[in-house]
Amino acid sequence: MANSMLLALLVEDNAIARVVVSKLMVEQGMALEEAENGKAAVESVKGGKSYDLILMDREMPVMDGHEATKQLRLLGVKAPIVALSADTQQCHKDLFLQAGADEFIEKPLTKDKLAQILTKYGLRRGP
Amino acid sequence: MEYSSLHRQLATMKKSFFDQGFLDEQFFQIEELQDDVSPNFVEEVVTLFFKDSLRLMGNIDHALEKFPQDFDRLDSLIHQLKGSASSIGAAKMKNECTVFRDFCDKENQEGCIRSFQKVKKEHACLRQKLENYFQLLRQVGPVAKATRSGN
Repeated sequence: MANSMLLALLVEDNAIARVVVSKLMVEQGMALEEAENGKAAVESVKGGKSYDLILMDREMPVMDGHEATKQLRLLGVKAPIVALSADTQQCHKDLFLQAGADEFIEKPLTKDKLAQILTKYGLRRGP
Repeated sequence: MEYSSLHRQLATMKKSFFDQGFLDEQFFQIEELQDDVSPNFVEEVVTLFFKDSLRLMGNIDHALEKFPQDFDRLDSLIHQLKGSASSIGAAKMKNECTVFRDFCDKENQEGCIRSFQKVKKEHACLRQKLENYFQLLRQVGPVAKATRSGN
């Protein structure tokens, strides 16, 4: 159990962003799965997948981050959900938090921001 | 001797990208991800960006020709382009994409067309600069981890 890799889900429609965040996560010792939109993320969980952390983009086709967060919480997902968006308007933050996200981070995700998230939720790998 | 001169050229070139606002802090983040496992990570991501952005800009060009204009589709495309630009630290491009999106929100077709010309201009400019940069980088060979001072 102690040696099993923690698994995160990155829900992000932008391919370039996925490449960069994926590398960031690997560097932090996290295994990562990707979903291109909210619906794919929800389907993944419905299919039995379980994650230690979910990074959720806001604007996505098919199903956006707000709706996906809501549905994931309704499905009983307890993992921290961190909303990511370049748009930091308070209304969007509020919507995400109301939907069940644990916090809202401004994009792009940086090494420091990710380290803070992992530390906050007890997901940092040991020395 | 020539090697250190190339290094200096590289550092000066990179510093100018930041000083002139073409790139922002995010580019440093990408550089910091380059390591022994992914020794060409920066160039790979940048290459992927230019390939993807050319495709998106082609779609935007095509979408702008339509009448009546589908502003939702345009907005979706420019959102993608902005996201990609932001991911590699392409600051000027990202800002022009924001202007374009504002015109989309207002359903201002002429404004969209004008601002998209600026997006394309910034794209072409950045592409040229980074192509020159990577060409020089290849001459220098593997470099030490990036530093913010540009040294």
